[in-house]
Amino acid sequence: MNRYQLAIQVDDKQVVLERILQVTRYRGFLIDGITAKVNTGTHIGYIELLVRSDRPIELLVDQINKLIDIKDVKVTSNTA
Amino acid sequence: MASEKQHTGGSLLFDILQQHGVQHVFGYPGGAIMPIYDALYHSEVQHFLCRHEQGAAFSAVGYARASGKVGVCFATSGPGATNLITGLADALADSIPVVAITGQVATSAMGSDAFQEIDIFGLSLACTKHSFQVTDIDELPKVLHKAFAIALEGRQGPVLVDIPKDIQLAAVENSLEDFSQLKNKVKLPPANVGSALALLNQAKQPVLYVGGGVGMANAVDELRAFAKLAGIPSVSTLKGLGAVDPEDENYLGMLGMHGTKAANLAVQQCDLLVVVGARFDDRVTGKLDEFAPHAKVIHFDIDTAEINKRRKADAAILGDLKVNLPALSIPLSIDEWQQKCQQMNADYTWDYNHPGEAIFAPAVLKEVSDKMPENSCVTTDVGQHQMWAAQHMSFNDPSNFLTSGGMGTMGFGLPAAIGAQISRPNDCVIAVTGDGSFMMNVQELSTIKRFQIPVKIVLIDNGKLGMVRQWQDLFFEGRLSETDLSDNPDFVMLATAFNIKAQEITRKDQVTAAIEEMIDHDGPYLLQVKIDAQENVWPLVPPNTANDQMMEKK
Repeated sequence: MNRYQLAIQVDDKQVVLERILQVTRYRGFLIDGITAKVNTGTHIGYIELLVRSDRPIELLVDQINKLIDIKDVKVTSNTA
Repeated sequence: MASEKQHTGGSLLFDILQQHGVQHVFGYPGGAIMPIYDALYHSEVQHFLCRHEQGAAFSAVGYARASGKVGVCFATSGPGATNLITGLADALADSIPVVAITGQVATSAMGSDAFQEIDIFGLSLACTKHSFQVTDIDELPKVLHKAFAIALEGRQGPVLVDIPKDIQLAAVENSLEDFSQLKNKVKLPPANVGSALALLNQAKQPVLYVGGGVGMANAVDELRAFAKLAGIPSVSTLKGLGAVDPEDENYLGMLGMHGTKAANLAVQQCDLLVVVGARFDDRVTGKLDEFAPHAKVIHFDIDTAEINKRRKADAAILGDLKVNLPALSIPLSIDEWQQKCQQMNADYTWDYNHPGEAIFAPAVLKEVSDKMPENSCVTTDVGQHQMWAAQHMSFNDPSNFLTSGGMGTMGFGLPAAIGAQISRPNDCVIAVTGDGSFMMNVQELSTIKRFQIPVKIVLIDNGKLGMVRQWQDLFFEGRLSETDLSDNPDFVMLATAFNIKAQEITRKDQVTAAIEEMIDHDGPYLLQVKIDAQENVWPLVPPNTANDQMMEKK
């Protein structure tokens, strides 16, 4: 399985973290680690997600990007 | 009049619905949505009481698909909300703009396992494009405007707004504000027009693969102009039917599991697939690795996530089809390929020759199609009758053929037809259904009765769950597990109980007169068409098989 690290920027809206977790599971990625924090001044959240899967990471990046409250998704590490 | 109104969250909801042009909603009241129903009492928005929330959701879907407007449905908390879920899932799979409003227990009771409390907000994550829970009355207008914008922008879809009872009751002081359209947040990469044009020019055997996105993008004219100028052989998905001009000499019909032989062979032989608003669904591709094995791919879509999802695109054209299709509309020199495809079309025409007295469903549906008034809207349920309708009926616009494509939801046809008829009161609406599917939302006959909705129902009755029975015969050595429905109710008596005129036919010689009587009848009508239970849908590409390995009628 390939391992990836994603850096996700979100608007701090209702259930945004749940949405990301749901999409990640449904699209076939296992979560090895997560850190999440919110800047309470700007209401922007930063989520770092460690995932693994046999599937190409682009599939997950595209699907997370489709969520309404997502500002940005980057693959910061790829240990394929 | 405004001064007499008590302004609450509930009444504000209707003011905002009207701002968005909503005239009709479908729903079912209950405890946690009573303040909204109380506000409805004074509203100009017309409410259609369905007899199950799933019926309300499908009517909203049918309304949206037939009219291009947003469909709106209401349900109460708990079971009312969960009953909407199948309809929302259906709308998500087929990208249909629906706004669902659910009542929720009061904010003070939320999270306490209160009576009729369910976390519908949590449940909505997997079956909506987006969802909201309103916990502050001041947020309500913004949330509702966003809900409509999200339902319509980009790839369309269902949005759920969960409104707790105290928010519905809360006093509203501010007057109604103008709303601005939400900008499409998705930044699309520039269209790869140059390389797409080069691929198109090099192709000797191109095929146009047309999906439901064409109708959703309101790009039927642009698609037809492209097909005509290029003279390119075309095939359609189930949801794309109606987009290509059915009279186009290069149109080969539906592709995929129950597609025409000509369409599937052309796709398997082509050297370029021009995919427009389609997503390589498994029912289309058969064995993915062997789908269109020699083809390069130009993929037009509004959804970035569909590009390279199941098949790599050699050129991706992301964005609005209405803008992008004309950019690629060029004449092609593919005479030999055109002729080959036209010849396949001629060689593999449908055979309506069917010996014996028993009624042949494909011939009935073709006759309904030939006799129905122009611009009629047909809905289907799911199963054999659905595939026969797709194969043997002809549509001049995707909004005239409403079928549950992605989700394949039995029970869709009747409530969707109700919604379609309400959105298009002057058009003939025909629900083609099967005896299995019909019973799944049969309670909606009551909605037809109440509002005297003149939907025509063509019930193809084989006393079986026909498609499952077909697969049991073909792939499970004839073990007919739980597919016998021979103890169905008397459908004519059932319809009559709802004041719906009905007739049963069992022989070929009754078909023409019965169809004419149904179409001419001023009001709802049920035509029960008994067919041989052993009839199969042909051709059939078996699961995990290449599309040129189809099974055919022996």
